[in-house]
Amino acid sequence: MTILTGFIFSFLSTVGFGIITNVPRRVLLYAGMTGAFGWTIYLLAEAMTNNLILPNFLAALTIGLLGNLAAIKVKAPVNMIYVPSLVSLVPGVIIYASLKEFTLGNYVHAGQNLIKTLVIALAIDIGFAIAESLFKRIYQFVK
Amino acid sequence: MSREYLNHIMYVCGMMARILLESGAETTRVESTIDYVGKAIGVDLNCHATMTAIFISTASESNTYLVKPNVSAFNLQKVDDINTVSRRFFAHEISFMQLEQQVQAIDHKVIDFTWPQKIFGAGLVSVAPMLLFKATWGDLTLAFFIGILGYLALKWGDKHAVAPYLGAIAGGLVISLLATLLQQMGIANSAANIIISALMPLVPGVPFTNSLREIIDRDIISGLVRGIDAVMIAGSIGIGAILGSFMVHFLIGVL
Repeated sequence: MTILTGFIFSFLSTVGFGIITNVPRRVLLYAGMTGAFGWTIYLLAEAMTNNLILPNFLAALTIGLLGNLAAIKVKAPVNMIYVPSLVSLVPGVIIYASLKEFTLGNYVHAGQNLIKTLVIALAIDIGFAIAESLFKRIYQFVK
Repeated sequence: MSREYLNHIMYVCGMMARILLESGAETTRVESTIDYVGKAIGVDLNCHATMTAIFISTASESNTYLVKPNVSAFNLQKVDDINTVSRRFFAHEISFMQLEQQVQAIDHKVIDFTWPQKIFGAGLVSVAPMLLFKATWGDLTLAFFIGILGYLALKWGDKHAVAPYLGAIAGGLVISLLATLLQQMGIANSAANIIISALMPLVPGVPFTNSLREIIDRDIISGLVRGIDAVMIAGSIGIGAILGSFMVHFLIGVL
């Protein structure tokens, strides 16, 4: 139930962000599905571990693989799928919280959140990098 | 190949690179697109793109063409259009003349979803999946509407403000003002949850992640510029949010 609700709402969230960032209409559905699957993987991984890196890394890996596949299907740059499907994963709120703490003078919390932001963003980016090189290999092999 | 023709090619490529970068494409995509166009014409074009400047030069001549982009919001539809046009040019489906015309058309055309669609989209983003079982459903419903207002404030601020980042301050202010007010009036359960959820369309999480991705690709200057920009936006939103809650508490103190 938790997973299903998460899937539906992350799909809606991804499509919404796709509309704000002006993704071409033919990409919207694929981006939404990619984002929703990424978030589902995140939820599943998060339930099993309290590690910060692993859920983000696995979700980014999923988005990277599915996104590249979808990009070939709709013949669009893969960034078009990455940008919206990342919206629920990305550490936007944490970076905001960190900067807010800086303004209030709570430097310990601010520093903690800033490092958390960096770690999450790095985990996502490494997931992407690995997914892309994996995908290139698989794609050449299949083709 | 005559010098005028070369200059003309560089001018068209500069326009393409500018549209791509201003609409939110990664720098590597900008550079590779220009490379492709050069290959299709048979000219050795070199392109270096950062967030603040694009340089295009040819190997055979000494002149360099410099474009100063003005990066603002994402408009991925334009990136896709330029990508399609350059792909067709590379496949020799259209001539250079047609490429120039189409690029100019893309530059001038307003490609956008309609405002009601965008408002609905902003509302959808404002219901954050990570808060689904942490915040109450009532709070999430409120976040849907407050997020829309915050997004509108951001767009309004960006359009009318003279200084950059004022839009982000306005967005943060509106969201935190409304959320704190609703909590004080007893309608909302937790202002903090509403603020976090409604800020989702505003916070620069995606640009920050993209900036790290560019740094990993060794586009370090461009990545740093993007990263600092993201931090500035987050800071502006934070200032706006603090101002908003301060205003509510001040008003309640006065009354």
